[in-house]
Amino acid sequence: MLATSEPKPVGPAGGFGSTAAPPIDCRAVSSGYLGKAVLNDVTFRIDAPGIYVVLGPNGAGKTTLLRTLAGILRPLAGDVLVEGHSVLGSDAGDRLHYLSHVEGIPDDLKVREALAFYALVEGASDADVERVLDQLEIRALANSFLSQLSAGQRKRVSIARIFLRERQIYLLDEPTSNLDPKVAAEIRSLILRLSQDKVVLYSSHNLFEAREIGRYVIAIRAGRLALFDRIDHLRTARYVVGLRALEPSEALAAFERQGDYFLRELPGPEAVPQLIRDLEARGVLLREVREMGNPLQDLFD
Amino acid sequence: MANDGATPSIFWFIARRSFRSGRFFLSYGTGVGILLSVALALSGGAAFQSSYPLVAPIFPVVGSSGAIVVFTNDRIKGVLEYLLAYGMTPRRIFLNVLGSAMLLVAVVTTATIGVGVGLFVARGHSIGTTLALDLLVYSVPMSFLCVAFATTVGMMWTSLSSPRAGMNSPIGLIPFVGILPAIITLFAIAGLAFSGASTSQNDAIVGLAVESVVLILVVLLISGLSRFLRRERLLSPA
Repeated sequence: MLATSEPKPVGPAGGFGSTAAPPIDCRAVSSGYLGKAVLNDVTFRIDAPGIYVVLGPNGAGKTTLLRTLAGILRPLAGDVLVEGHSVLGSDAGDRLHYLSHVEGIPDDLKVREALAFYALVEGASDADVERVLDQLEIRALANSFLSQLSAGQRKRVSIARIFLRERQIYLLDEPTSNLDPKVAAEIRSLILRLSQDKVVLYSSHNLFEAREIGRYVIAIRAGRLALFDRIDHLRTARYVVGLRALEPSEALAAFERQGDYFLRELPGPEAVPQLIRDLEARGVLLREVREMGNPLQDLFD
Repeated sequence: MANDGATPSIFWFIARRSFRSGRFFLSYGTGVGILLSVALALSGGAAFQSSYPLVAPIFPVVGSSGAIVVFTNDRIKGVLEYLLAYGMTPRRIFLNVLGSAMLLVAVVTTATIGVGVGLFVARGHSIGTTLALDLLVYSVPMSFLCVAFATTVGMMWTSLSSPRAGMNSPIGLIPFVGILPAIITLFAIAGLAFSGASTSQNDAIVGLAVESVVLILVVLLISGLSRFLRRERLLSPA
């Protein structure tokens, strides 16, 4: 189990500039539904661009957090400031994009009509609609009704709306859930490109996806902020590496096996180079060395 | 349509979708309404003058169901959640849907009353003061009020429940709720006739009383929806 950190502001130098208001400032926020709190006393500040993966078990409060940051839910206590302004202001929609885990697209429209609807709401132009049709590679679907599309195509259309207008903050609730690996990878790639100079909060159940694309983790457990840190700062409780060799070797005979991998527990990543040197000195031709554990897994244990 | 924030008006977009999604209801309500208008206009002047103003408000309720269809689908699909995230208030969402329903009722009412009265006149009858007043003071306003009542009840019902398709959903049942005021008026005036107390004045009092009650209910419902219905009620149940 990872140590639970105190909520702390995060904001490496060189983010959005020291004089600018932080993109997201969540101050002692409690929030929930019909007066019943799901999130309790959540405090964090986001100062730097990157992907912030919001992790937690089912019912932990991930969707509630994103809905509160988007201004959909009114906090029961505390404040949410987006670029220094209350998220409850009527202009909050100009500051961030929110993508729900529900598609949010009307079935009765064609793809182009749906994008025109989003463009109307967000103040984008017809030219933006045409650009996004190409950018998301959905031009061939432009005249299809949304009810005729596959789940992956619908998700792509749903995601297309966040590319209609550029904003500094993107709140994405499980954008790759229920998608086949190919479409999920394409969408992750789009979001990765987006995150180079933007703040992206990305909720996911997929720990490997989170580790692959995330720079920071915001872990929510039982409605409270359990951890807010850089993902590369996280360590597993047991540091285990897996080794694959080009040829069988006596030197690996004593190692525990997991599939093709020979496992070895080490004190930490700093011990990996020495292990490689030792094995090579004993004639082992290594083909691959990888960390077998995912530190994010410990957040769920 | 009121625009209480920085977000642009989506009224015409919602209205177009209401016409498209509710085209079956619109055709059915208008078609049956016109058929009845024609039947009464052909059956004689007295029957048309006494019956038509009372039944005319029933068909716009059916014809305007497209607005509540759009509202219900948008809640289920998460479109309302999207609109809330972009700064649209629940009040504005409700007013957009209500406004769309009013456009639909205008179409049905104009078509059905236009055809009925046109045929009535074409058959050589003249529109007397009583018929004109009945249509202008009862039939037309009652049509709008019944639809407003049905739409506001439908939005509240949809928001407070996990709507399903079919007859047990707001879409299936709302027309029955919406025509209640017109049916109550119809039976009250029929009761007066059976009891021998029916006069133009008494009938008018009954009609205006029901209209007033429905108007008050609609204002209270809209006010209650905007003030007391929590935003989370508009989120998708999915």
